[in-house]
Formats: sequence, structure tokens, C-alpha cells
Amino acid sequence: MEENGTHERNAGIDVGASSQELREGLVTLLPRLRRFARALTRDVHDADDLVQIALERALTRAGQLRPDAPLSSWMFGIVRNAWLDELRARGRRTRLFAPAESGEQVGDASHGAPADLLAVQEALSRLPEEQRAAVALVLIEGLSYKEAAHIMEVPIGTLTSRLARGREALQEMLGETTGALP
Amino acid sequence: MNFSDETVMAYADGELDAATRAALEAAMALDEPLAQRVARHRALRGRLRAALDPVLDEPLPERLLASVRGAPAQRPAAEVTALQRKAAPRWSWPQWGAIAASLVGGALLGPLLSRTPAGGAVVTRDGQVLASGALARALTGQLASRQPPGAPVQIGVSFRARNGDYCRTFVLREKNALAGLACRGHEAWRLEVLAQNPAEPAAAAGYRPAASALPPGVARTLDELIAGEPLDAGAEAAARERGWQP
Repeated sequence: MEENGTHERNAGIDVGASSQELREGLVTLLPRLRRFARALTRDVHDADDLVQIALERALTRAGQLRPDAPLSSWMFGIVRNAWLDELRARGRRTRLFAPAESGEQVGDASHGAPADLLAVQEALSRLPEEQRAAVALVLIEGLSYKEAAHIMEVPIGTLTSRLARGREALQEMLGETTGALP
Repeated sequence: MNFSDETVMAYADGELDAATRAALEAAMALDEPLAQRVARHRALRGRLRAALDPVLDEPLPERLLASVRGAPAQRPAAEVTALQRKAAPRWSWPQWGAIAASLVGGALLGPLLSRTPAGGAVVTRDGQVLASGALARALTGQLASRQPPGAPVQIGVSFRARNGDYCRTFVLREKNALAGLACRGHEAWRLEVLAQNPAEPAAAAGYRPAASALPPGVARTLDELIAGEPLDAGAEAAARERGWQP
């Protein structure tokens, strides 16, 4: 990845050599970005919208990617920030806790998804956002505490306490259900 | 000795320093409730991963691929890399998804152990699954660049994990072939993932030759653990010289 000004000038349109490299990296990462987004949003359409926004942002900000930084961490950060923006834009209440709507979307989008996916997504969606992000980064994406804290822009101690609380809440919710939605 | 919830959690997440980790492992051997606390953390991770991992195998939406490509007439090389995951043989043993996701839990280990060749390639100790017998010997001594063709264990990729440990992928060439990934602790090789090896890994060529024969769950674990690039032959030999210690 070259660090020069060309990315900003050609934002999102240019297909130069280093940009090509970035694009290939992004395609490789796509499955994980989708999984991460699914953990954050629960809804498959929201998740893919989120990934799409993040991809577009990444391509326009390619110049900000430091050559020694892993693309994955950078992208998880962009996905998460895009999600926070989205939450702010929506106003937290309207969409997140609209059972009928999201229920319909989950059913619609998850053709044949195992009941446990629904139970897990339901439980994740009930966590406060910062706990959900910590759980998604560490437990699902397998990142280290350090990486997750860096992505969430918090000290490690904050990350671990969010992770611990999120875990505890999930244990409680998932311990009660055995794979089916309540 | 009492361990705080935070310490137990950090242990389950592989985040403890070596000394605390050793102390906790020693305590776990005698302290069943402590072992259960660790198991509970791992079970949750396994459950989350089992639920979310199938997303990785979903076909990639065309609109996302188009976003990445930006321009329509791109050469398709990048697609091949990403679609490899989809084209790879399907996981032939679905319940292992949960296990592939995390360390193998004691309760679920039974069916696997009964399938391993006599002589025991794996043992459980303190809630951990460790390599033993021929597998342990191969992990410690066999170089990928120079392995006997008929060896019961074939070593795949050796690499440095992000926590600094050395890890290696392997395939057990027995009737019920198993593939896996083990990382070197102080005294033993700890199995991070173990999975049934698909019959013939035919199609998945080109992506990462030495790892392409691995089941998706193993390849995925590799992707997650690896820091940088796999070791080349020289680095592999040097790591062996150091007993695989960081």
C-alpha cells in the first residue's frame, strides 16, 4: 500500500496498483465483514448495507490505511463506526426494538437459518451496543483484547469489562433458551 | 488460590501471561469448579461461533462485490480468492462447526476420540486437548519441507500466532483422516481445532497450497491466528531448533 496523495484525489474511482491490492484484500475479507456486521445488526439486509457503506468508505479513505496496520482491524473499525453513525441517524429506539419488523426481516432473510442463529442474534441484539461490539470482535472474530480495544478506541480495561458484562448477559439469556426464540 | 472472573475470562480468551496461565492451569487440575468456569466461557464462544460462522459460507452478494470492484471490467482474480471459501468442500460433519470454533470441549470430545487411531493422537488434560504420540512427535520434529512420504502425520503450514506462539497445521493420514491446527505451549502442543478432513481436497487449489487441503474450519482458524506470513523452510527449521519456543 503506497502512502501518497493519489487515493484522495481519485477517491473510489481509481484502480491503480495499490488500490487493486486493497480491493483484493477487501474481497478476501468480505465473508468476515459480513459475519461481523451480522453480529452487530442481526438483520441480513442491514448487515449488508453496513458492509457496503464500509467498503465505500474504505475505498475513499485508502490513503489513511497505514502500511503496517492489518486491513482487517481497519475495516472492522470502519464497519463499527458506520454502524454507530447509523444508530445515531435512526435514533436508537425506532428500529432496534421493533420486534414485528425485525422479526419479519429475520424470517424473510434467513431462509433455513438454524434456530440457534436466531436465538444468538436475538440475544446479541439485546446487549448494549458497546458490549455487543466487544463480544463480536473478541468472541466471534477472534481478535485479541488489544486489537479489539484499538478498534473500539477504548483502553483495554474498558474493553475487558464490556466483554465480561456482555458475556454474562449472554450466558443468562442463552442459558435459558435452548436454541429457540422465546 | 482464587482467580478473579476477569482472570478466568482472560485465560479462556488466551490473553494471560505465561506465569498466570501456568498457575491457573495447575489450579484447574485440582479445582473442578474453576475448570467449569473456563469451560463455560469456551462454550459461549463456541455457541456464538457456531451460530454466526455459517455466514462465512454464504454466497457473497453481487452488490458488495460490485462495490469493491468499483469499475465493472476488473480482472476477476480477486473473486477467485474470495470464492474459494465457497467452492471448498462443504463441512462434512456439521456439529464440528461448534468445536472448530473454539477449543474442543471435554463433553464433545468423545465421538472424536473414538475415531482417532489407536495409540491416541490426542489427550485431554485440564480441559485442554493436547497432541500426543505420533502427532506430538511429528509436530515437534517433522519439517514440512522434508517429510517422509508415507508418514502417518503430514505437517502443513507452520506460522507464528499473534500471541507469539508457534502453530502448525497437520493432517493425520488414517482411515478417518483428521486435520487440525496445534499451537506450542510450554510443554505440549495444544490443539486449537480438529476437524474431519474432507475426502479429497481437489478443487481448492491455488489459494494457499499447503493449507488448501485443510477443512474450512481449520483454514479459518489459521486465518484468524496467523500473524504475518507462514514460516518458510529456513524459519521452520530455526523454530524447531528452539523447541518451538518464542
